[in-house]
Amino acid sequence: MIEAGNRYERMRWVGGSILPALILLVAIVFLPIIYAVTLSFFDKSAFNPEMTWVGLKNFAWLLNDPDLWLSFGRSTFFTLGTVSMQLAWGLFFGLLLNRAMHGQGIFRSLVILPYLLPTIVVGLLFKWMLNPEYGIVNQVLMDIGLIDLPINFLGSLNGAMFSLIGVTVWQYGSFAALMILARLQSINPRLYEAAKVSGAGPLQCFWDVTLPNLRTTLLMLALLRGIWMFNKFDIIFLTTGGGPLQATETLPLYAYRLAFEDFDFGRAAAACTIMFAVLVVGSIFYFWKFDPSREVEVGR
Amino acid sequence: MSAPSWKKCLLVFVVGMSMVIVAFPFYWMLLTAFTEKSFIFRPPISIIHFNFSLQNFRELILGTEFLVYLKNSLIAASGAIVLNVFAATLAGYGLSRFRFWGKNTFIQATLFTYMFPPMLMAIPMYIIFATLGMRNSYIALILAHMSISLPLNIWIMWQYFQIVPVSLEEAAWVSGSSKFRTLIEICLPSAMPGIISVAVFAFSLSWNDFAFAFILQTDQAMFTLPVGLSTFVERTAIHWGMIMSSSALVSIPTFALVFFMQKYLMRGLGIARS
Repeated sequence: MIEAGNRYERMRWVGGSILPALILLVAIVFLPIIYAVTLSFFDKSAFNPEMTWVGLKNFAWLLNDPDLWLSFGRSTFFTLGTVSMQLAWGLFFGLLLNRAMHGQGIFRSLVILPYLLPTIVVGLLFKWMLNPEYGIVNQVLMDIGLIDLPINFLGSLNGAMFSLIGVTVWQYGSFAALMILARLQSINPRLYEAAKVSGAGPLQCFWDVTLPNLRTTLLMLALLRGIWMFNKFDIIFLTTGGGPLQATETLPLYAYRLAFEDFDFGRAAAACTIMFAVLVVGSIFYFWKFDPSREVEVGR
Repeated sequence: MSAPSWKKCLLVFVVGMSMVIVAFPFYWMLLTAFTEKSFIFRPPISIIHFNFSLQNFRELILGTEFLVYLKNSLIAASGAIVLNVFAATLAGYGLSRFRFWGKNTFIQATLFTYMFPPMLMAIPMYIIFATLGMRNSYIALILAHMSISLPLNIWIMWQYFQIVPVSLEEAAWVSGSSKFRTLIEICLPSAMPGIISVAVFAFSLSWNDFAFAFILQTDQAMFTLPVGLSTFVERTAIHWGMIMSSSALVSIPTFALVFFMQKYLMRGLGIARS
């Protein structure tokens, strides 16, 4: 902390350094959110630019729309599915990469790669690989004899959601792997030695030393990933577009449809407000559990 | 076979299989990108084949607006880098060096906004920018991209300035240097790694963004690469070879990032967003 200098000079410095960021944050983050929440109490569509106050009518309409509840359920299913699979994937690769082996650097880079890939690339790539006519996955499965007819992975009513979860886990699982790897490397090796001396096998070492040490990391990952997966838009839109027949239409895609297909901005804003409410609940829990603003180290 | 070597075989098999699952899509993207069009649409395609051709890339560059999209993406990313570095560095400096009213609230609000998904802001932004007549403009897109990268970057710079010792600055003041000169000459150079990571995050979030660009840019001449590429599937009658070659080109920064900054990434990626 700098205490030197007179009061006015300090104030000028604080203002000069904080204000640009503050103004930007208010203008591009807080204003849109406040605007969305306000708009949810108004009637506004692309054809009727006038804003008319309608109170809770938009929310009443939404709560009576079965599509809202279906998309809410799909968002929940997608979140639970992808988060649990990402944790499993992260645990597997974290443990694997934590072993000393040849080519460690290459393996680690390889595991990070999917996470850094632009979502458009992931979407197009899997659309191509899972293509029912020319896709390599179907062809390999047929060559091995596992299936007789090609599977329409992203286009079938029952399979689309599961394929989507698989694609998402491939893309984001490495984030969990990185976090878990970082935590694994900070476990004191003496704990393992002590466990081995007292006769613990590898499985018991994992159960009694590794898992308890990972607990906080896993919980943090589940919460953060959960918040983001619940509101995921791009990868879903790019692979299935919410289809077939709304089978993968989660809450953000539902909000998108209200805004840009029905052109009802009031209702879309109300859907956004519901998403925001879920986010607030999740993040209150996160802040209460972790209070990340106290941490000093980069990386959490 | 004795027990240890049996175990080792199993381990090698598991490692190998899992690496195949991670790596195969990359391999398939590159292989398809360099394969002739007629060859791709003649199933069955063998997993290992060699039919090297640059036809897809040629068609991509000459026959589509790829270069226009590239220009738009680069402009948006450069704008996001400049504004992010400017605002985040100053804010990080202020937060780490001064005590002031509302500081904790500011930090927590920044962290909170870091969790906001693009969709939540894209719909209100669409209406706001439409009202202001700013849709299909670079400045609107840059501002939109900053809404997801700035919170994270303020946080990074705040963290970074905490490990730049104040004593260096104090020594400079004692020897008569002004506060501003000290900031430029002493503080910024020692905060350079932090500034670089801010620039990298600003670039990659802007480069990767689909949601904002897709909603805000409705004019094809203003599409960024992700939005432009997403239209290829319909417009090119599913010319997968060309689509994969464009995907490969868009992934170049990702590959570069991983290979040049591997060590650094392992440390710094800790707080990157989804």
